[in-house]
Amino acid sequence: MTDLTYAQIDETVLNTLERPRPRYWVFVALMLCGVLLGAGAWAYQIFVGIGVGGQDIPVAWGTYLINFVFWVGIAHSGTLISAILHLFRAGWRNPIARAAETMTVFAVCCAGLFPFIHLGRAWQVYFMLPLPNQRLLWPNFLSPLMFDVVAISTYLTVSSLFWYTGLVPDLAVVRDRSTGLRHKIFRVLSLGWSGAHHQWLNYSRGYLFFAALATPLVISVHSVVSWDFALGVVPGWHTTIFAPYFVAGAIHSGLAMVLTLMIPLRRIFRYEAIITLNVLENVAKTMILTGLIVGLAYGTEYFIAWYSHNAVEWESFRWRAMGEYAYGLYFMILCNVLIPSLFLLKAVRRSVPWLFAISLAVNFGMWWERFVIIVGGVAHDFAPHAWGLYAPSLVEYCIMVGSFSLFFFLFLLFCKHMPSVSMTEMKETAHHAG
Amino acid sequence: MNRRTFLKLAGLGSVSFAAGCSPESPKYLYSLVQAPEDMVTGKATWYASTCRECPAGCGIIAKNREGRVVKVEGNPLHPLNRGKLCMRGQAALQAVYNPDRLKTPLLKEKDGFVPIGFDRAQALLKTKVWEAARRGADRVRLMTEVVGESQMEIFRAALKNWNSSPPVVFEPFAYEALKVANREIFGVDGLVSYRLDQADMLLAFGAEFLETWLSPVEYAWKFKAMHAARGPEKGLFFLVSPFQTLTGANADHWLACAPGTEAVVALGLVRQLLDIRRGKHLPPDLREALEKATEPYQQEAVLKLSGIPLAQYEQLVVRLTEARRPLVLGAGSGQSDANGLAANIASNLLNLLLDPELSLIDAANRHRVETAARRAEVLDLFKALFSGQSDVLILNNVNPVFNLPPENGAKAALEASNLFVVSLSDFIDETSLLADLILPGSLPLETWDDYSGWSSLVSTLQPAMGKITEAPHIGDLFLDVGFETRPVPDYKTYIAERLRKTGRIRNELEWMRTLQQGGLFPAAGQVTSASPATRPQRLPRELASPYESPPAGLAFAVAPSVRFFDGRGANKPWLCEIPDPISRVAWQSPVMIHPATAKSKGLRTADVVRVTSRWGSLEAPVYATEVVHPGLVLMAAGQGHTAYGRYAKDHGANPLGLLPSAVEPACGGTGCGLPDITLEATGRSVELAHTDGSRIQHGRAFILTTTLADLQKGPPPARAGLTMGDFPLTLPLPEGYDPKRDFYPPHDHDHYRWAMVVDLDRCIGCGACAAACYAENNLGIVGEKRIVQGREMAWLEIVRYHDERRMERVMFLPMLCQHCDNAPCESVCPVYAPHHSSEGLNNQIYNRCIGTRFCSQNCPYKVRRFNWFDWEWPEPMNLQLNPDVTVRSKGVMEKCSFCIQRIKEARTWAKNENRPIREGEVTPACVQTCPTDALVFGNLMDKDSRVRRLCDDPRAYQAMGYLNTKPAVIYLKKVLHEV
Amino acid sequence: MPAETCIMGLFKDDGKAAKVILDLPAAGFSFRRAHSPIPSHRILEALKLRKGRVGWFTLTGGIIGFFAGFALAIFTSVQWNLIVSGKPIVSLIPFFIVGFEFTILFSVFGNVIGLLVCSRLPDYGGLESYDPRCSGEHFGVLAACEAGREGELMDFFQKKGGEVKVFA
Repeated sequence: MTDLTYAQIDETVLNTLERPRPRYWVFVALMLCGVLLGAGAWAYQIFVGIGVGGQDIPVAWGTYLINFVFWVGIAHSGTLISAILHLFRAGWRNPIARAAETMTVFAVCCAGLFPFIHLGRAWQVYFMLPLPNQRLLWPNFLSPLMFDVVAISTYLTVSSLFWYTGLVPDLAVVRDRSTGLRHKIFRVLSLGWSGAHHQWLNYSRGYLFFAALATPLVISVHSVVSWDFALGVVPGWHTTIFAPYFVAGAIHSGLAMVLTLMIPLRRIFRYEAIITLNVLENVAKTMILTGLIVGLAYGTEYFIAWYSHNAVEWESFRWRAMGEYAYGLYFMILCNVLIPSLFLLKAVRRSVPWLFAISLAVNFGMWWERFVIIVGGVAHDFAPHAWGLYAPSLVEYCIMVGSFSLFFFLFLLFCKHMPSVSMTEMKETAHHAG
Repeated sequence: MNRRTFLKLAGLGSVSFAAGCSPESPKYLYSLVQAPEDMVTGKATWYASTCRECPAGCGIIAKNREGRVVKVEGNPLHPLNRGKLCMRGQAALQAVYNPDRLKTPLLKEKDGFVPIGFDRAQALLKTKVWEAARRGADRVRLMTEVVGESQMEIFRAALKNWNSSPPVVFEPFAYEALKVANREIFGVDGLVSYRLDQADMLLAFGAEFLETWLSPVEYAWKFKAMHAARGPEKGLFFLVSPFQTLTGANADHWLACAPGTEAVVALGLVRQLLDIRRGKHLPPDLREALEKATEPYQQEAVLKLSGIPLAQYEQLVVRLTEARRPLVLGAGSGQSDANGLAANIASNLLNLLLDPELSLIDAANRHRVETAARRAEVLDLFKALFSGQSDVLILNNVNPVFNLPPENGAKAALEASNLFVVSLSDFIDETSLLADLILPGSLPLETWDDYSGWSSLVSTLQPAMGKITEAPHIGDLFLDVGFETRPVPDYKTYIAERLRKTGRIRNELEWMRTLQQGGLFPAAGQVTSASPATRPQRLPRELASPYESPPAGLAFAVAPSVRFFDGRGANKPWLCEIPDPISRVAWQSPVMIHPATAKSKGLRTADVVRVTSRWGSLEAPVYATEVVHPGLVLMAAGQGHTAYGRYAKDHGANPLGLLPSAVEPACGGTGCGLPDITLEATGRSVELAHTDGSRIQHGRAFILTTTLADLQKGPPPARAGLTMGDFPLTLPLPEGYDPKRDFYPPHDHDHYRWAMVVDLDRCIGCGACAAACYAENNLGIVGEKRIVQGREMAWLEIVRYHDERRMERVMFLPMLCQHCDNAPCESVCPVYAPHHSSEGLNNQIYNRCIGTRFCSQNCPYKVRRFNWFDWEWPEPMNLQLNPDVTVRSKGVMEKCSFCIQRIKEARTWAKNENRPIREGEVTPACVQTCPTDALVFGNLMDKDSRVRRLCDDPRAYQAMGYLNTKPAVIYLKKVLHEV
Repeated sequence: MPAETCIMGLFKDDGKAAKVILDLPAAGFSFRRAHSPIPSHRILEALKLRKGRVGWFTLTGGIIGFFAGFALAIFTSVQWNLIVSGKPIVSLIPFFIVGFEFTILFSVFGNVIGLLVCSRLPDYGGLESYDPRCSGEHFGVLAACEAGREGELMDFFQKKGGEVKVFA
């Protein structure tokens, strides 16, 4: 895998924590502005009314829900890579596990915001929490949205803890290699980790359980998200295929986002020796699989719609391909299935520019997949007299920009202040290799 | 009479010390420092009165809560409308509480209008008129709307004192042609009423009797009395017209004749009847003359001119001659041109030929609107005024500048400097703008008056609330300015006096009773009627010269609007917000053209076109629909105001601007269309504020129809499948559950399971229910822009679908919350805001709702409405809000509640008397007002309730029932006459 | 008992470290602790340690979570006692999702607590006799000898090919 010595690994990673150049702060500031823009737009929306968005009857859900699903999707590959691949003992996940987990945590934060933003009365959001109150008013645990609340909050908690647990030994490394304030901070953060044998004994055990628990969780979470739709009666939503379909899609988009983040990171931080081309290629290979699953799902949906002889279902799918939002469908087929299948060619898989371009394409395509499902379903459902269209408003765009800015803002801060590659795990890899 | 009605009438009892009547200061409406003695906070008082939104004069009862009128409903005792009301009647409140209503008189000075006090305005008027009177004869002229007899008398008296001639009664739709026809054939110089309910076959040549023609509510219930399916029986309705409006949409057969050829068809039919030896009873010379006159209208000629297919024409002739009690109605309200005149005369002739007794024509109960002057007289008046023959013109609540075509001379006359124009109007409309003094008078709901929709009866008005302006009643005003000294203390006494003089009442007690029940009239159902006595002896002169049909080319027609009537409704937001029944477009006024015409001109719906005639031009968006003849451009009257307040101003275009103002000499009226205009694309297009989606239902089970033949075959075999086609009727009751279909066990309700039955065969799509819902449930008015965004708030909408097989056939479906037993909206809510009540209602708890909108997403009927913003009720509109219904804040979902506040009211009564709620005791606003009784509400758990019994009707079905939501709204299939 | 000195031997290879650990008792030194940058199987084998006990915490958490989830869902719906979409008040199938998520959540809580308890973290005191190199590339073996034998122990470590660090 890697022929680096422990020292080299430490050095490469710790170099990334050197005092950043001004350009870095420019980017951070830029992202912060984006965040403020989004926050401003949201404040305006709360003040004036959710109507400043583009939603209507029948399409009462717009970009807020689309982005929610989009970010939850992104959040999936993190845990997949660090947990599932850990169980599979896939060594190549080590170089990217840390960054992927971080991505997960931040993506869940972004995702978690959208259900609030989306509410007509955001200030009443606590109605959805099972808070004891003397009038005994409780949330409705039959509602898919409550499944969401439970699943997403669980996922956020678990992935953050998982992420931090993984960080501890590395924090100790930073502590031991730093002085002054940083030393003090990391001394506290690393909880006095000393790599003593009893610590390792329980640590590796605990980490294993973590992985074992995160695996079913990650699958359940996006299944639950898919049930927001599958448990509705709306044609185009009400299908049993949704859970696997969404999970595969989530991982697909997540891996794409991993590439989108890793490739610049690798370049800027000179990680070439650690995040080798083979690692990227393996990600690409996995994307071929997820891409095909997604493609199969698209096909199956159409087949069932036709096979069911359900006029309503069929009409909704006919319209999906020929109606006002047809372009969305073609975006998603092209970007999620056809383009990624280029990875079948080794040359493409191993060319960094191609990898980057395709990863962007998939991110784009997956956003449109959510658009087609969420908007397309209700826009053309049971009641022809109520059929209608939807277009996002400026406020929605601002909030969308805000969410992306928030994500990159957090990620930028992280990768310059925390070890963005797990040194310990890299050493293990080296150890097993050497 | 059901209990609810009884309670209302009991409420009427307190009329003599009516809450609103005494206090004139508006502050009583806000803080009740001393409540009137008959006012109990939280308890409504009902005042019987008369609707004055159109000349029909339906009886109403007005609901007064804490001193303000919050709702009007039809007066169940009134023989005209039998407790029903149309959408314009419902909206009467919005004139009273209109934010643009004038609070003080306005006097025109160099730099525009300045507000002055009422005393000063009155004094000014008085001096002006008396000065003028002294100057000679006819120096004061009065133009008024159609008013009651008392007011008319005062007008005449006052004008006499000013030695001027009697007032000119102006109505945009004055039925000149129909009056001539009645005079010539029935010997009745006026407007007879028709006993539609007795007919078994109806033929109309454009008379839109379900919308605006003469007395729409009356004819709506009468129409359904003959046209609704009674077992295997069902009346027939043929329409001969170049276009369908609401009335046409209810026709069983629409014969689309070329524009301007209604007369040709009518005369053709006369000819047909003569050919089969009908009308032997006619005087021989008349008969001969008639033979001669109808010579040019042989079948071939008729078919050629009208473009009606032979098959349809023959069918019409056969049905008409076979019918036992056929009734023929003439041309539409506005059609007093040559064509309309000939059509009307021919129609009356047809009636005479088909039924020598004229048993369905009622000359005893004549429509009040017959007092309206002919258009010619109106124009003459303006000519006279322009030539300076008068000094003062008083306009009583009329708007000729808007309602007359250009070149009418009204504008010129009003602008004449030597003429002092007084407009007695509560709003600054196009006409008032030109007046020198605008003197608002109190509105019908605030005053004493009488008005007789039928000549045979007296219908009284009384204040249903305190005044919210200082405006005097016009009657009182005239008592002051028209006489040296007041002949009677006040107008109220005057009315009583008049009734006593005419022997209608004898004493104070009878006066009280009269007011209490809203007038003097026989109980509904015991109306005596009389057929016209005289018969024509000679051929009407109008038929002597053969009627020549118009030149080919694109014709233009203006249809009176079911929403705005002639335009007087345009300032009432409910009427603007409730979309047109055919186009489903609100706030805007599209021109309707046939898709073929649109195609040939490369136009698509929502493209803006310029329509130009010799007299003017206008721009409006296109709406392509099959319900107009390819050779016709149709537009609804009523919009395109340049004044008349925020809701009317700059919405839509005024089609009257295209019409000539020349009158048809034979009847002194004008038409509502013209033979040839040009239609050109502007290249622009707008977003139509429509509330519908697809115009067809893609074979889905929303509107189901059956044919009379199938109905006669007896009930169809019970369905038991799971698909849209063969899913059975699953009542929202335990017996509606079946393990084969249902995953979950049934659940029971305690005592009540509220449900509604909607008879699609009775629904005419008039939208009265929607208006009643707006009024009862404080629905927000969102405006044109928001409707374009798809954010209308109607809890109940009349869905309009075209028949996929015959696009020219239109069907209506009242769509409201279905209160399903397995409501998809409920379980998806994370906070239980929507849930199933113990009485089967689908409750929506506004305070609990956090606005996830999942319920709306998951509702297969899309009947849920969301508060995207806080909607506004500009002062004093807020006074109309129903205190029993929460006003929803932004961010919460809402929807039809089956008027739960009324259910609760009924329950309180029942509880006090410690008994269950009785059948018919709960009546939601929509059910109450439906002119055709298409809606029935009740308790499904009561085996004998009407709703329960109607569920056994073979026509019963549930919209999209196969989704197994078990809706509590049961529809009855529309019955079609096989084609 | 006489004073002791702790001496750490630092090795670049965990194999050596493991050997040292095995040989220490024979040489009459007492083993104190082993520090390593990565979990080293060789060392753990050399120490013949049983598996960690974290799993028990995790399991307990899981069981609690499972029942807590169902309990919450059932309790709340019974409180309302409202029918939605014609479903029974207590519908176990949807509640399973709550149960499942709570199971995972609480197991993870258990897991984290277990981790902290078993590996006695946080433990800032443990860094007294610790060498930063141990988080880099060195495997440190901390052994103790009674006063006077320091020399022998150092030699022992050096013979085994390691660097030596003395903690006074």
